[in-house]
Amino acid sequence: MDIVVKKIVREVKRGNQDAFAELVDLYKDKVFHIAYRMLGNAHEAQDVSQEAFLRAYTNIESYDENRKFSTWIFRIATNLSIDRIRRKKPDFHLEDQVSGTDNLDYHSQFAADIDLPEDQVVKLEMQQWIQDEIMALPPKYRSAIILKYLEDLSLKEISEVMNLPVATVKTRIHRGREALRKRLGQA
Amino acid sequence: MACTRDKQQVINQYLDEEMTLLESKQFEEHLHSCPDCEKHVRELKKTTAIIQSASHFEAPKDFTAGVMDRLPKQSKTKRWQQWIRRHPIVLTAAVFFLVFVTSLSAGFGAEEEIVVRGDGHFIINESERTVVIPEGSAIQGDLFIRNGDVEVNGEVAGDITVVNGRHLQASSAQISGDIEEINQTFEWLWFEMKTLWNDAVPFLTPASEEE
Repeated sequence: MDIVVKKIVREVKRGNQDAFAELVDLYKDKVFHIAYRMLGNAHEAQDVSQEAFLRAYTNIESYDENRKFSTWIFRIATNLSIDRIRRKKPDFHLEDQVSGTDNLDYHSQFAADIDLPEDQVVKLEMQQWIQDEIMALPPKYRSAIILKYLEDLSLKEISEVMNLPVATVKTRIHRGREALRKRLGQA
Repeated sequence: MACTRDKQQVINQYLDEEMTLLESKQFEEHLHSCPDCEKHVRELKKTTAIIQSASHFEAPKDFTAGVMDRLPKQSKTKRWQQWIRRHPIVLTAAVFFLVFVTSLSAGFGAEEEIVVRGDGHFIINESERTVVIPEGSAIQGDLFIRNGDVEVNGEVAGDITVVNGRHLQASSAQISGDIEEINQTFEWLWFEMKTLWNDAVPFLTPASEEE
């Protein structure tokens, strides 16, 4: 795997643009997934993860071949996601009143639920609930938790992705985990 | 919550599996006797299990194409270089063809010196670009002239080949073999190939050798 990736990266560095498509194919799912979990929105996740690959391409010369490509691309993607979160306007809530209406909140704006098998509905609700809980975390804990529990990265890898000492990464995971426990633990 | 602040640290170490076997055994004994710590550990384990159960999403289908479309466009020369790199046989063929054409034109150039191959007495007239076989002299074997005319007054035992020139024959001339004039590129080419073939596989043409 690493040898294949190294070979592709060398091709890209030599100017073979088509080879870059292979790199994108190898990492797109993981990068998209991280961005999705960071942002909680598929459209923005696609935007940010595609941007991450574009940056990887234009900065390919600065990529150190002795390090894992995944670490590098995850780092670009998480940084871009955090930038996006910071620039975003404050989130609106479904419970907020729609302006110019009397007592209508955003729940009423959605079409009636399509009939889905009950277990599927439960599953979807469960998944949405998990995502909501992840979104409730401050971004710096959010990325640590995502990389640790959803991407299964080692502490060392997370520290490389986040460019932080392992001890700091540990603290963030502990605090993120503790914050989640307070909300999920009782469920 | 954990019973003490210290225990909070210990719980993290326990869950991160950063304890020796003995330490974790001791801590598990503490959990049996301390409901607060036991609850805290149980809740944290549950929390991580819930988070880990989150499904994985795949990138949309047109993802790669979307990225490739947005890459900076490469210059034509760069793309050409890439193409050559991926099709080395084309480059080889091109180089071969170039060498081939160069050697051909070298062999057929008008400004070339007169070349004569033959065994016997002959006179080369540089200014008129003519090779003369004088009366009374004989060429033992084949005669080859390039870039000049040949005037045969004497005797030639073999064939005469004239490339890029003409041959003149006096009434006194005695030529045992054939006379060939080659003045066109493709003829020259054909001659070269024939020669090469005969040189390479002489055993296939024993009859002409014996003549």
